Amino acid sequence: MIPVFLASLASSQASWLAARQTTIASNVANANTPGYQVRDVTPFSAVLDKASMSLASTNPAHIDPTAGLASTEKVSKSDSWEVFHSGNSVALEQEMMKAGQVNQDYALNTSIVKAFHRMVSMSAK
Amino acid sequence: MSMIDPIKASMSIAGSGLEAQSSRLRVVSENIANVDSTGRVGGADPYRRRTITFDSVMSRTEGVNLVRVKDLGIDNAPFRLEYEPGHQAADENGYVKRPNVNVLVEMSDMRETNRSYEANLQIFKQARSMAAMTIDMLKGSSS
Repeated sequence: MIPVFLASLASSQASWLAARQTTIASNVANANTPGYQVRDVTPFSAVLDKASMSLASTNPAHIDPTAGLASTEKVSKSDSWEVFHSGNSVALEQEMMKAGQVNQDYALNTSIVKAFHRMVSMSAK
Repeated sequence: MSMIDPIKASMSIAGSGLEAQSSRLRVVSENIANVDSTGRVGGADPYRRRTITFDSVMSRTEGVNLVRVKDLGIDNAPFRLEYEPGHQAADENGYVKRPNVNVLVEMSDMRETNRSYEANLQIFKQARSMAAMTIDMLKGSSS
């Protein structure tokens, strides 16, 4: 069913965007920390392409090690516009641009999901 | 799922940034306010410039990189000497030790603090708008 597929895709993109926002927030907060290296999450296409394989939990006490965003979104050092004398590589303008993009994508994501919800509830009425 | 909501985490990270930058602004204003604070007796040391450094710390509860004030230190740069024999802090040769504060350096520090503070505030606002968008999604589907 296509709508179900869309819902899971939209939710994984939303969680990816939220994780990216967290990483950007971390970069901005550490904009004046000596030696801090700027970070970013892996691109969403890479997260999508990766076949996820998880351990089966046969007991309620089993903890899923891949739960949360740590498994899907790897934080890595990314190319930065500038590196300061203190070894800090956070370019605030670049981070603001990234944050703006995240916000825009998130707005698009929620609008699409909303539109789909409307469609589904219209046909269910 | 032990992971905290990343949008909430963004807000607490931005909050830690705001806190760190406002401590920095406090240090800057302390330095500017004391730009002329000399000693009281002859040859006494004047106000010494304060410094502040930040450190990135991993929050155990949230698993994210927050920023904290690492150290409040003092600047050991030499004092400026001014010839002013009538001053109460003048030594036997008539020289007064002035604080090692350069107002221009403090001003540029203040501007940078301001810029970083605004950036953190912007991130906070965006995280809040993302949370609002998520809630709006719920609103839209019920009608």
